[in-house]
Amino acid sequence: MTIPLPHDLTRLEALASIARAFPTEPLVVALGTMVREMLLVTGRQPNHLYVLDAMGLVPAIALGVALSPNARTHERVVGIEGDGGLLMGFSTLATIGSLRPENLVLIVLDNGQYAATGGQRTAASSLDLTAIARGCNFSTTDIRTAAGLSVAMSEAKVRPGPWLLRVMISPQNQPAPYFLPDPVELGLDFKRYLGSA
Amino acid sequence: MPPLTSALGVDSRAVVAARCDAVNQAILHLAPTHILWIPSSTLKPVIDMVETRAREGAWVSAPLTREEEGIGIAGGLVLGGARPLLVVQDNGIGNALTALTTFAQPYHLPMLLIVSQRGGLNEYNSMIHTLCERVDDLLDAADLRTFVLDERVPIDRWATSIVGAREHAEMTHRPVILLVNLLY
Repeated sequence: MTIPLPHDLTRLEALASIARAFPTEPLVVALGTMVREMLLVTGRQPNHLYVLDAMGLVPAIALGVALSPNARTHERVVGIEGDGGLLMGFSTLATIGSLRPENLVLIVLDNGQYAATGGQRTAASSLDLTAIARGCNFSTTDIRTAAGLSVAMSEAKVRPGPWLLRVMISPQNQPAPYFLPDPVELGLDFKRYLGSA
Repeated sequence: MPPLTSALGVDSRAVVAARCDAVNQAILHLAPTHILWIPSSTLKPVIDMVETRAREGAWVSAPLTREEEGIGIAGGLVLGGARPLLVVQDNGIGNALTALTTFAQPYHLPMLLIVSQRGGLNEYNSMIHTLCERVDDLLDAADLRTFVLDERVPIDRWATSIVGAREHAEMTHRPVILLVNLLY
């Protein structure tokens, strides 16, 4: 069992590091503060799919992209999910484990909270998420520092997955404007990037 | 009480088999890249065919843990240029409503869901009526395009209707739900 808090790494720092490590790979970003802070870090990127709602669906969406024919031109497909979102779509770990996509990297930014709704606690702090993921055929790493995140992502790029990187982050949120474009645009941009439209 | 269908000379099993054959014929014609399914007693002949053909390399077949997961996976597949098909039961459609209305529908991701229809006449499970008899109303309220194949549609129109439903999803850039009634 892990005791996650306090942690110095912020979501913003973690997202900046992920965006640098995967500058061209398809990247599925979870709703709320995750999307808004990613936009602060990188601005809108054609390789990023911004999931504006559908909480808990990022692992499933990233799995679908990873299995798709147009993902073959990319080394990895990355899903960025929070601990609350992961728990909401938890059973997808089993589906990923049965399909074993080697190109899928799930990065879970774990602050122990539902940040978008006011910081209510999740169940993650009392769970060993990486042990559960290993039981579902993931390679995993528990990460607590920026350096650890860089090392883990370098490994996930070259060793076959599926990978689940659990990154412990502080509960700090950056003020960021709402992002409310037409989702049709977001889907179409991402399809064009993948060569599907 | 013996089944009235027998007394009337109706071979209900043959009717159900013909409907399943039509669904299978349509799936083979559509040739999806991926078929994602939830186990179903009424759709068992369809899922058996899907699994058999998957072992022969026709497509990827995968069981789902929940219906909304299927919407997410299928959506990702569509974004990446694949042609997925979902095969699920209508008593689990409530699980999929949020994913359909917050992802597949607003992002314009065409996909076909073949959904076995339960409840109502000829249903053998008393616990299923409450939700299943209202599934088409629920889907309509959610503004999700739904077609129904049941005894009112001649069996020789089933396969073409299923293919048509897939084409409808593509041309409208939306998910389409096809309720198929395999009870008799």
